[in-house]
Amino acid sequence: MSATPAVLRAEGLVKRFEVGRGLFGRARGVVSAVDGVSLAVAPGRTLAVVGESGCGKSTLARLLLRLVEPDAGRIELDGQDLRALDERALLRARRHVQMVFQDPFGSLNPRMSAGDTLAEPLRLHAVVPAGERVVRVRRLLDQVGLPAEAARRYPHEFSGGQRQRLAIARALAAGPKVLVCDEPVSALDVSIQAQILNLLADLQRELGLAYVFISHDLAVVRQVATEVAVMYLGRFVETGPAAQVFARPRHPYTQALLGAVPVADPARRGSRVVLAGDVPSPLAPPPGCRFHTRCPHADDRCRQEAPALPEGTHAVACWHADRIAPLTTPPQGAAAVPGIPSDSAQRQRQRAVLQHLQAAFARRSSSSPSPSRPGAPP
Amino acid sequence: MSPLLALRGLRVSFQTPRGPARAVDGIDLTLEPGQTLCIVGESGCGKSMTALSIMGLVPQPAGRVEGSIVFDGRELLGLAPRAWADLRGDRLAMIFQEPMTSLNPSHTVGRQLVEVLQRHRGMDGVAARAEVVETMRRVRIPAPERRFDEYPHRLSGGMRQRVMIAMALLCRPALLIADEPTTALDVTIQAQVLELMRALRADTGTAILLITHDLGVVAEMADRVAVMYAGQVVEEAPVDELFAAPEHPYTVGLLGAIPSIAAPRQRLAAIEGRVPAATDWPSGCRFAPRCPFADDHCRHEAPGLREIHPGHRSRCWKAPLETLVMPEAGALVHAAEATA
Repeated sequence: MSATPAVLRAEGLVKRFEVGRGLFGRARGVVSAVDGVSLAVAPGRTLAVVGESGCGKSTLARLLLRLVEPDAGRIELDGQDLRALDERALLRARRHVQMVFQDPFGSLNPRMSAGDTLAEPLRLHAVVPAGERVVRVRRLLDQVGLPAEAARRYPHEFSGGQRQRLAIARALAAGPKVLVCDEPVSALDVSIQAQILNLLADLQRELGLAYVFISHDLAVVRQVATEVAVMYLGRFVETGPAAQVFARPRHPYTQALLGAVPVADPARRGSRVVLAGDVPSPLAPPPGCRFHTRCPHADDRCRQEAPALPEGTHAVACWHADRIAPLTTPPQGAAAVPGIPSDSAQRQRQRAVLQHLQAAFARRSSSSPSPSRPGAPP
Repeated sequence: MSPLLALRGLRVSFQTPRGPARAVDGIDLTLEPGQTLCIVGESGCGKSMTALSIMGLVPQPAGRVEGSIVFDGRELLGLAPRAWADLRGDRLAMIFQEPMTSLNPSHTVGRQLVEVLQRHRGMDGVAARAEVVETMRRVRIPAPERRFDEYPHRLSGGMRQRVMIAMALLCRPALLIADEPTTALDVTIQAQVLELMRALRADTGTAILLITHDLGVVAEMADRVAVMYAGQVVEEAPVDELFAAPEHPYTVGLLGAIPSIAAPRQRLAAIEGRVPAATDWPSGCRFAPRCPFADDHCRHEAPGLREIHPGHRSRCWKAPLETLVMPEAGALVHAAEATA
């Protein structure tokens, strides 16, 4: 997907879950949570996987770390086949692929202080000699913008945003190349969400991390992604560079998703195409193209044959991709987009004032504890 | 026209082990008939408690509600529980974020809807059923005759929220209070529900008080917006003005903190720090500890909510905020005029 070779690559991942199995009963059905997904992400890049609930994006995240064992497919880290590894070798390899979850409370041990939480992966992966752990813990805390005395505190003593910082520090402790983030800001208020997104951007720039970023929030995805994969009922329906996919979405589902996002600009209200119907049950996905039940362009072929995702930079799994006009999103007003044509001198002036006022917030946040490079003097 | 709803000095407080928590701390707001007012804010700002107090649903006896709530020309505070119950579901209706918590899982959807008509309008079963099916059709529940006999758990989240909206509409309320009605829904389903609410307002003239944390939803729905922070309204304005020219630094920060779907921003305007606790509001301006423009005056003296432009109120000593960036803004405007 980009010029630099991928650090993490997956091919043809499949995961099925049996559901409704009682004590003696047979499974009532099989959900193909992930059904033939391939992806690649390079150092310093962010692949965002976006989709609605039940599309399989969280399962995909867990497959990448083999937290959930895939039924088929290949996962490569720096060319090494992760699925061929035994338990011990997998543990070693996991040092390089770490995960950040939506709910840090659920993923942090409530009985462990922040310091112990961070020291554990250092010991487990023998990242630094025992004598240097305290120093490294302090540096990790500083990297995520937590004060040194936070080491003594327990998860419940942190706010939601601070807990997510701690979870990120723990993921960084092992010295990973890839972070898989599953809805890392979805549980946070918008002002805190911005802090965490800024932090993730800083860390990526400083450490050259590759991110796989799972989210349902398209605006967040627009902010963080360099590449995007749109997922629907277990499959990628559109992949490509974020700028292209957002500016010229070609799959009818991507078009509908982007059209459905409420935009924080009252001038643009009501200018949308609302997609009818619910997402079908993953237990009984429609035959053919899985989106055909909600698609305005569907015909007989779509109802019978599933389109594959072709190779290519900006790829679309749709029989009518060539026929459907790409939806071009009009530029938006108030949301501080520089260089867009504006309506009146007054609006332009208001926009300039707002940008200046907001810059004061951005300046302030970059002057707070900034992540420092590991290896730099503390 | 007299307002449909007027809140005056509304306060909701609770006794906690850490002292009294002033969850809602002096709200003045009015809502005209047929209007949509959005209350926007982050968790803990008091927006949901404001909604609950209008419905008479603040947990009792723990919660203490003071001030005045005049609805339809009638003071609601001090109303007997029975009278309040008569009002709810009749002139006043509410939908919540999670419809499952307000639907009875052991009764069919149809039965619960029919009950509303029987209780508030004294309708008989046959007439009520016909009206319920018709209302279900109006909120675009497919095959309403069949859904009538379904149990809530058999319906999707979006469908359940439609049932709640149908229930709210059965008695043609003058005011619909919606607390985060689409927060639990996927974005394509959210779009359906928002469109439905807009269509219904146009049809029935019901005023809407919409509580949300999502500025995108505000931009879609609101006529007027009240921004809440730390138990108070910090800014109130017509929706276009609030987005184009906010007059409170908190609103400025919020607008800068949301990513834009049009293009990635270089850096999001993160509001540093965290929302204070309701047991411990800062003295002076409550936003001062997180405000890049705050000075000693702000930290020591609490600003009141005052009118900055006609119909646009802000609780900030520095408003109008334009004066904070005047020199640069002036230069930019000159540049813009030169290119125009």
